[in-house]
Amino acid sequence: MFRILKKSLKTGTVTGQYPHTQPLVIRTPGAHKKAAPFKSSLTIREVDTGSCNACEMEMSALTNPVYDVERFGIHIAASPRHADALVVTGPVTVNMEHPLKDVYKQTPHPKLVIALGDCAINCGIFKGSYAVTGPVERHIPVDVRIPGCPPRPVDILEALASIRSLPSPSEE
Amino acid sequence: MAEHVTDRLSLEQRMQTAFAGVVAAYPRDGVLQYCLDESRLPEVARFLHQKLQGRLALLFAIDCRPRTQKYEIHYLFALSSGHPWVLLTVELGGSARLFTSITPSVHAAQWYEREIRDLFGLIPHGHPDQRRLVRHEHWPQGLHPLQKTFPWDKVMGRQQGEYRFRHIEGEGVFEVPVGPIHAGIIEPGHFRFSVAGEPIMQLEVRHFYKHRGIEKLFEQCTLSGALPLAERVSGDTTIGHSLAYCQAVESLLHLQIPRRARYLRSFLLELERLHNHIGDVGAICNDTAYTLAHAHCSRMKEQLMQLNDRLAGSRFLRGTMAIGGLTHDVPATQQTEVIDTLNRIEKDFAELESIIFANASLTDRLETTGVLTERTAWDHGAVGVVGRASGIDYDVRRDRPFAAYDEVPVNTVLYRYGDVRARLRVRMDEIHESIRLIREIRQHIPQGPIIAAVDYMPQPGEWGLSAVESWRGEVLYFVMAGDDGHIHRCKVRDPSFVNWPAIQWAAVGNIIPDFPLINKSFNLSYAGNDL
Repeated sequence: MFRILKKSLKTGTVTGQYPHTQPLVIRTPGAHKKAAPFKSSLTIREVDTGSCNACEMEMSALTNPVYDVERFGIHIAASPRHADALVVTGPVTVNMEHPLKDVYKQTPHPKLVIALGDCAINCGIFKGSYAVTGPVERHIPVDVRIPGCPPRPVDILEALASIRSLPSPSEE
Repeated sequence: MAEHVTDRLSLEQRMQTAFAGVVAAYPRDGVLQYCLDESRLPEVARFLHQKLQGRLALLFAIDCRPRTQKYEIHYLFALSSGHPWVLLTVELGGSARLFTSITPSVHAAQWYEREIRDLFGLIPHGHPDQRRLVRHEHWPQGLHPLQKTFPWDKVMGRQQGEYRFRHIEGEGVFEVPVGPIHAGIIEPGHFRFSVAGEPIMQLEVRHFYKHRGIEKLFEQCTLSGALPLAERVSGDTTIGHSLAYCQAVESLLHLQIPRRARYLRSFLLELERLHNHIGDVGAICNDTAYTLAHAHCSRMKEQLMQLNDRLAGSRFLRGTMAIGGLTHDVPATQQTEVIDTLNRIEKDFAELESIIFANASLTDRLETTGVLTERTAWDHGAVGVVGRASGIDYDVRRDRPFAAYDEVPVNTVLYRYGDVRARLRVRMDEIHESIRLIREIRQHIPQGPIIAAVDYMPQPGEWGLSAVESWRGEVLYFVMAGDDGHIHRCKVRDPSFVNWPAIQWAAVGNIIPDFPLINKSFNLSYAGNDL
C-alpha cells in the first residue's frame, strides 16, 4: 500500500503533458448545431470498419492519464445504444458494410458521426480495392472529419472540443 | 559459417536417404528448395514436420500467369536453429484445380489451405474443413481475388449465405455469439462460444471482417512504391512489417545494407517492441480490473510514443524504413535522449513490476488462466510472445539474425507454463531485454552511410524471402518480382495468422468472463490476420 502511494506521489500529475498543435478539421455546415446537445457530455462508440489499427491505438491513447479525455466530459461507451457519437475508422470493407449500417441504426437520435483518419474519409491507401466499398460517408451521413494517418490524440481532442464549441484544450 | 554448411549438407543427405530422387536447389542464401511432384508432397511434408521437427512457417500459392499457365504452391518449413529454411514447391499445371491437403498430418496448414482455396480457387483435396475462411458467405460464388484474371478494383455483388459454425448439442449447452463489433476500442471479429454452465466447451473464431485485399493491392505497386502499404498492414507493427518487406526486397535486389543502417533498424524495432509491450502489460492488468497498473503503463507508453514522434515525426515511426536502409538518421543527440528516457522508464517500470506481483488477487487471476500447452502451441506453429510463453524456444532475432542482431545478440525469454501470467512475464522480461539491447546498440553503433543505392533490376519471377521478429512475433514476407519493377506476388504473414487458431484451444475450460483477459494476453492483430 505504501509503495503504491509513494509511486503515485512520485509520479504526480501527468495530464496535459503533450505537444499542442492546430489540427485541420473538416466538418459539414450543420455539425455545430447537431453537436449542441452534447456540449457538457459526449458518449462515444468507436467502430472499426477495416483500419490498420493505428487509429484504434490513438483512440485508446485518449483515455490514458496524459490526455484523460474524461475531463472534457467525453466517455467511451461499450454499446452503440449508449452512444451520442460514432467514431468510425478505416475504409468500409465489404464484410463490415452491414455491421456498420446496423450500428448506425442502433445508435439513438440525436447522433453525430465522426470519420477518424484518412481511410475513413477517403479510403486512404486502400482506395479502389475489390474488398473496400468506399468511405464511411457512402454508407452513413458523416458530420465531422478528422484527417491524419493516424491523427494524433491531440488532434482528436482539439477536433472534439471545436465541434462542441468548447475552448481548445491547448489554451487551458 | 562452416557449421552452417555441414548442417545444410547433413539435412540434404537425410532428405536424399529418405526420398530417392528429390533434387535440392539453392535459389537464395539460407533457403533449400525442393521442387516436388504433387503426389510426393504429403510424405515429404510429414517427414519434415514429424521426423525433423520442422515447423510449417508459411504456405502460399502463386498464380504464374501470364508468364506460364500454372499455379505454384510453396510450403516453407523452419527447422531448428542453424538450418536453412526448407521450401517445398509444387506446380499445378493446365486446368488442375485440386492439390493434396497436408492438414491431416501437419495441423498448422489448416488455415493456409482454406485461404488458398478462397483466394485462388484451388481445392485442398482431403482437407477436413472445406468451409470458407477469408471470403464471407455473402461473396458471390467463383470469385477468387488473387487469380491474375480478377481485376483488383472489381466491385463485388452480394449473395445469400450463412456460415455454418460447429455446434455442440446437448442438455444445457448454449451458444454465445460475440462480435463483430465489440465493447471497447478494439478491432472487429466474431467469436462463438459454446458453454455448458460457466466453462467454455468450444470457441470458434470467425474473422476476416477487415479483409482489405492487401495482397492484391501489393500487386498493383512497384517494389519501392509498396512500402507505405506494408507499414499499414497492421498499424501497431509498422516497423516489423516495413522492415520485413524491405528485407525481402533487398534480398531480391541483392543489396548490402550499410552497417549503421542495420544497427538503426534494430534500434527502431526495439523501440516499437517497448511501447507495445508496456501497453500490453497495462492492458492485461486492466482486464483484471487493476486499473492502477494500467494507468501507469499507459502513461509510460505515451512517453515512448511521444519519443517516437520526436525521433521520426510519427508516433508509430512511420516513414523511417527505405529499400536499402533508412530515410533519415538518428543523430547521437537523439540517441542520448532515447537512452535518458529509457533509463527513467526502466526504473519506473521495475517499481511497477514489484507492485504488480505483490498483489495476490491479481496474480490469482493470471495463473492457470488460458493455458496454451506446449503441444498445442507446437501443432499450430505458434510464434512470438505466445509461443515463448508456452515453451516454444524460437526467436528470429537469435535463430535467423537480421539487422544488427548477429553483432548484438539477444537473450531469448522463455517460459513454459503457457498461461496468462507466462505471457505477461515474457513481455515484462522482453521490456528489460529491449532496453538492454538499445543501450548496447547505442554503444556499438558505427558511423557511415544509412542507405545503399539500388542498381539492379530484378528479372520477372525472381523472389526474396524475409523474417523479422516483430514485437508480436515472426513476420514473414515473400516478394516475387514481376515486369518492370512491379510486384508479381507478395505474401504477408503476420504472427496473428498462426496464433489465432491457437487461442481457440487456450480458451477451452475457462469461463467466458476470463476470455477478454486471455484474448488480451495474446493481443493478436485482426488487421494483420485479415489482410
